[in-house]
Amino acid sequence: MTAMVEARSVCKAYGGVEVLKGVNLTVERGEVTCLIGPSGSGKSTLLRCVNHLEKHDAGELRVDGELVGYEYRDGKLYELNDRQICAERSQIGMVFQRFNLFAHLTVLENITLGQVKVKGRSTDEARLKARELLARVGLDAKERSYPSQLSGGQQQRVAIARALAMEPKLMLFDEPTSALDPELVGEVLDVMKDLARTGMTMMVVTHEMNFAREVADTVYFLDAGVIEESGDPKVVLTQPQSERLKMFLSKVL
Amino acid sequence: MTTNGDAPLKVVPVRHIGRWISGGVALLVIAMIVHTIFSKLPTGQYACSGAKPNRLCHAKTEWRFSWDIIRHYFFTSEILHGVVLTLLLTVLAMAIGIVIGLVLAVMRLSPNRLLSATAWTYTWFFRGTPVYVQILLWYNISAIYPQLSLGVPFTSIAFWHVSAVTLFDPFRAALVALALNEGAYMSEIARAGIISVDEGQIEAASAIGLTRRQTLGLVVVPQAMRVIIPPTGNEIISMLKTSSLASAISVVETLGAATNIYSANYEVIPLLLTASLWYLFWTTVLSSGQFYVERYFARGSLRSPPPTPLQRLRHDAIGIAGKFRTTRGLEVAR
Repeated sequence: MTAMVEARSVCKAYGGVEVLKGVNLTVERGEVTCLIGPSGSGKSTLLRCVNHLEKHDAGELRVDGELVGYEYRDGKLYELNDRQICAERSQIGMVFQRFNLFAHLTVLENITLGQVKVKGRSTDEARLKARELLARVGLDAKERSYPSQLSGGQQQRVAIARALAMEPKLMLFDEPTSALDPELVGEVLDVMKDLARTGMTMMVVTHEMNFAREVADTVYFLDAGVIEESGDPKVVLTQPQSERLKMFLSKVL
Repeated sequence: MTTNGDAPLKVVPVRHIGRWISGGVALLVIAMIVHTIFSKLPTGQYACSGAKPNRLCHAKTEWRFSWDIIRHYFFTSEILHGVVLTLLLTVLAMAIGIVIGLVLAVMRLSPNRLLSATAWTYTWFFRGTPVYVQILLWYNISAIYPQLSLGVPFTSIAFWHVSAVTLFDPFRAALVALALNEGAYMSEIARAGIISVDEGQIEAASAIGLTRRQTLGLVVVPQAMRVIIPPTGNEIISMLKTSSLASAISVVETLGAATNIYSANYEVIPLLLTASLWYLFWTTVLSSGQFYVERYFARGSLRSPPPTPLQRLRHDAIGIAGKFRTTRGLEVAR
């Protein structure tokens, strides 16, 4: 069985600035992986490369054994077209720091849009699934609300339900609690913990060290585009080896 | 609730003397204008009755604004026909203009440089020349393109052709000119709307697997509408009036009908006023329509939509009634 995510010397530069300098990482199926590190360390970029929101420049990136954004045929790499990339992405859920719920759609419509337009489900089927997921994130009473009428925590829970509605094999979380008021962080983390318990493979960019310690199977510490340290969070977060991680932990803990 | 069970305290509102004075001045000016609009002028003629020596004479007068003549012409078939043509030109030119504008806006934002440059050049040309000149150009297009044909480019093979004179009759020439010109303005409006949509919305749409086209149609454009609608409303209202330029190439729309009539009977002012009143009427209709369309597309972005004029009127009426009820006041805890 291949790993869910496999990165081999992945590089990415923005206009000459190297953000990822050869990152190696493996996410096993059913595992929760947390990416930690100072801002600008490349952890969000790495996450966005996994579902091809950003194109990596060099290295090999595989999700579920398949190359991301390319196809390997007759000794050449062929770039995938829009439709093929969309098909790849529809199997990877993503939750953003700023929620990014569709502002013109109600909560229910937010969750049914992808199911109907991408998965080709009927509206009734999609609604049924959406209501089931809303109940799971504790928001079944809010299906008619617009995102602007919800608190940040509620919006993020809807965003998680929207991603889950596509029945992804992998969930990506890009600092899901960083834009939230402190008292709302817990409700989102609870939903994520529940999700981890169901065996969902998750990659989480986070500053919540407690979450990483409690939930993650593996934690990766990125700094300046390279992975400095990785391993069991109970070891990495309590007995940091490198000076950089020691300094980082002293600031966030 | 008062803590000691006393009667509620009376609240004395702040007196705004300046507001009262400026309000009074405004009211006076309005009264003067309304008075002149509905005043009469002496005609210089006299009407007399009875025989000498008891003969009574008084100066004849007529409405300054010739209301009787306006009323006479307001619903004549020629004017009504012109009004229909004005509406037809406005609706068709706007419909075509909006489609052209959306296509151009998407082209402008395309990563393909050739497409975006083409869209930019279109806007440059059609915004850079007066619409009046464009109407005259399309009307006389047969001078440079006598025949239009459909066939293989750069060969003489043609499957179908038409003479430009028959294709561009006055109405169609005006319609094409107005629509193409409008397309240039609408493209800028649509572009502003599209770039106003948060990048995160597009990323979220991509992340659930929507294609680029689906993202544009299902996520970006519906949200861009909130920004696009208000200036588009202005454009429609502006088009309603700009369409009067078509009268220059003998399209008998509202103004054309009015000028046709007054060139025969010299009632210039009453007929120009008749045309103006028709334009004002449709402008009013369009503005109120715009309000409700804006309200619809603002859903999701406002926690509570703005009140409709009726709701506001009701609210004002309650407020004014409240001012006269002197016993009404806040209850202050003492």
